[in-house]
Amino acid sequence: MKDVHERVLWLWKKLGSLRFALFLFLVLAVGCVIGTLVPQGLSERELFSRYGPKTARWLSTLQITDLYHSLWFRALLILLGVNLIACTLQRLPKTMALLRDREEFLDPAKLTKYALHRLMDVPVEFSRVRPLTEGVLREAFGRVHHLHAPADTFSLVAEKGRWSRYMVYVIHVSVLWIFAGALAGSLYGFKGVMNVLEGETTNEVFIPRQRAMMTLPFQVRCNDFDVSFYENGTPKEFRSDVTLLENDAPVLQASIRVNDPITYRGVTLYQASYGAVLKKARVAFSKGGESERFEMALTFGEAAPFGATDRKVQLVDFTEDFSGFGPAVAIATWKEGEQPSGSWILMNHPDFHGNRIQGYHVTVLETERGYYTGLQVKRDPGVPVVLTGFVILLVGLLTTFYVPHKKFYLWAQKNNPGTRVVAAAWSNKKSLAFEKEFQHLCDRLADALDRRKEGK
Amino acid sequence: MNSSVLLGVTTFAYLLATTLYLAGITFHKPRWLPWGTLCAVGTLLVQTAGIALRWKESYDLGFGHAPLSNLYESLVFGSWVLVLIYVVFEKKIGQRALGFVPCGIAFLAMAYASFSPGVVSTIQPLVPALKSNWLIAHVVTCFMGYGAFAISFGLSVAYLWRKKKAERPLSLATNSLIPGSRELDEFNYQMVLFGFFWLSIGIITGSVWANSAWGSYWSWDPKETWSLITWLIYAAVLHARAVRGWRGPRVAWLSVAGFCSVLFTYFGVNFLLSGLHSYATK
Repeated sequence: MKDVHERVLWLWKKLGSLRFALFLFLVLAVGCVIGTLVPQGLSERELFSRYGPKTARWLSTLQITDLYHSLWFRALLILLGVNLIACTLQRLPKTMALLRDREEFLDPAKLTKYALHRLMDVPVEFSRVRPLTEGVLREAFGRVHHLHAPADTFSLVAEKGRWSRYMVYVIHVSVLWIFAGALAGSLYGFKGVMNVLEGETTNEVFIPRQRAMMTLPFQVRCNDFDVSFYENGTPKEFRSDVTLLENDAPVLQASIRVNDPITYRGVTLYQASYGAVLKKARVAFSKGGESERFEMALTFGEAAPFGATDRKVQLVDFTEDFSGFGPAVAIATWKEGEQPSGSWILMNHPDFHGNRIQGYHVTVLETERGYYTGLQVKRDPGVPVVLTGFVILLVGLLTTFYVPHKKFYLWAQKNNPGTRVVAAAWSNKKSLAFEKEFQHLCDRLADALDRRKEGK
Repeated sequence: MNSSVLLGVTTFAYLLATTLYLAGITFHKPRWLPWGTLCAVGTLLVQTAGIALRWKESYDLGFGHAPLSNLYESLVFGSWVLVLIYVVFEKKIGQRALGFVPCGIAFLAMAYASFSPGVVSTIQPLVPALKSNWLIAHVVTCFMGYGAFAISFGLSVAYLWRKKKAERPLSLATNSLIPGSRELDEFNYQMVLFGFFWLSIGIITGSVWANSAWGSYWSWDPKETWSLITWLIYAAVLHARAVRGWRGPRVAWLSVAGFCSVLFTYFGVNFLLSGLHSYATK
C-alpha cells in the first residue's frame, strides 16, 4: 500500500516537473512543425495521389492530416494543462512559505557580505539616526518594518515588489484560463458558412466540421453585394449590405466588410467570400451549319422541352472559371426515364469543338447572373474568456520580467561618538539599475546623516 | 528627395556601420567603435525619415497606409527596429563590440529588400484583409520581438565563439573587446526576456485581429503555428534558465535555434508554405 502511495507521489512530482514541461514544449513544437509541413484537411483521394497508399495510410492512422484536432495532439495539450496545474500546486506553497518567512533580526556581519552593502560611520547621535533614516526609506519604499534589536541598536527592513514573485503563477493560470476559453468555444460554439444570394433570405448555415446544416435563430437577407477595385485592379473592398430578420420582421440593418463583422445575439457574421451564380441564359443550338438552329431562354435549374424533340434540357451547373477558360455552364438533356447526358459549354469560346450536346453546337448568347455573398458564421462563447486570458498573460509577463522584488536592510549601532550604520540590499533581479538605485539611496542616507561615509 | 533615395542611402550606410564596428574589433582599435555607433545612429535617423516619407507618399498616391503592408516594407521596418533596439541596448550596457551583428543583419535585410527581383518595392494599396487598426500594432510588436531575438542570436553566437576560444588557451585574448562569457549570457537572457514579451504581444494582437478579420482567434495557419513554435522554444529557454539554472552553451544553442525558428516564421512560411499570411510574399 505504501508502495502505491509512493508511486502516485512520484508520478505527481514528475507531472509537475520542469523536465516534463520542457519535454512537452519540445514535443508540441515538433508536432506543430509536422502540422505545417503536411497539408492539413486533405481528402483521402488527394492524400493517396500525393503520397501513395502506404504513406497515406500511415498519415491517416496517426491523424497527421488533421493534426491539430488529433487525439494525440489534444492529449499533449491536456498534459501541458496538467503540468501547469501540478507545477503550480507544488511550487506555490513553497513560494508562499518563502515569502512569508521574514527575518526576525539582522546580523551586521552578514549584511556586509551582501554584494550590495555600505558601511557608514556618521557623526549624528544614535537617537536621531532612526527618524532620519526612516524618513528617507519611507520616501523610497513606502513602508518600513522594525525588527527586534538589542539596546543601542536598531534594525529596519524595507521591501518592494514582493507581489511580483507571485506573478509567474498568474502567467500559468492565464494560460490555463485561455485553454478553458478555447474548450468552452469548441464545446458550446459553432463555426460555419452561409452563401446568400443577392435579394434572398436564408437562415441555413453549413458546418464543415460536422458536414451538417444548422438553422440560425434569425434570418439573413443579402440586399446587395459589392466589390470595389483600385485602379491597378486589386480589390479594395468587399461589402455585403444585409438585413437580419426575426419572424420576418427586420431587426438589424448593417454592412459587413472584411475586418468589420457584425454580431447579433452572440452570432458573428464575417465577410469571407463571394461568387456568381447563373440565373438565366439565352442559348442557341445549331446543327449542320445553320440548317437547323433554334434559341432558347433557360432558367437555371428548371427543365424545359428541348426544341421540337421529345427530350428535356436544363442548366445544371455554372462556374466563373472552368480550368482557366473563363465562365462555363453545364447543360444536360434527357429523355423521360433515361440517364441525362450533357456537357460543360465554354461561354467565352463559342467555337470550341466541345460545345456540343446531342449533335447540336451550343452557343451561349446572353446570361443574367447574380452574386452571392459568402459569410462566415460563428458563435464562440469562449472569446471573452480567451481575451481576458490574453490581458492577464501580458500583465503577468510584464511584471514577472520587469518588476523586481527588492529588499533593503539597515542596521545601526550607537558608537562613541556618533553612530555606525550598515546598509545592504538584495533583489531577485540583479541589474546595473538596481546597483545604481542602491548607491543613490545610500548617498541620500549619508546626506541625511551628514556627509561622512566609508566603505563600499 | 523621395523615400527610395533615403532607403537606398540607408542600405549602404548600414554596410559602412558594420565595417566600422568590425574593423574596430578586428584591428583591436576600441576608439573606432564609437564611429560605428555614430554611423548606426545617423543611418537610423535617415531610415526613420525614409519610412516617414514613404508613409506620406502613400497618402499622396491616394491610398495612404502605414508602410508595413508587404515584404519590402516589413524588411525595411524590421531592420529599423533591430538597429533601434540595439542602439538603446548599447547605451544601456556601455559595450559596443557586438554592433556589427545587428548592423550586418540590417544591411542584409535592406539589401535583400532593395535588390532581390522577387521583392516589390513600389507602394501598393492595402488589400481589404489588411485594412485594420490592428495592422500597426501587430506588425510593430512582432518586429520588436524579432529584432530582440536577432540581437540575442548575435550574443549567443559571440558566447559560443568565446567559449570555443577559451578552450584553446594559446589563442590569447585577441577578443578582449567582446564582453566576457558571463556578461554575454546575462545580456542574452535580458534580450530573450524582452523579445519573448514582445512576441507574446505580437501573437496576441494577431490573434485578436484574426478574430475580427477571419472569424477565429486561432486557426493553425502556418504563420500562427510557426510563431507558436518560436514562442515554445523561447519559453523553454526562459524556464530552463530560471528554474533549472541552466547557463552557458545550452541556453546559447537554444537561443540560436529560436532565432532559426524566427527566420522560418518570417521567410520560410512565406515562401515554402501557403496560408492566410500570403500577402507578405511580395
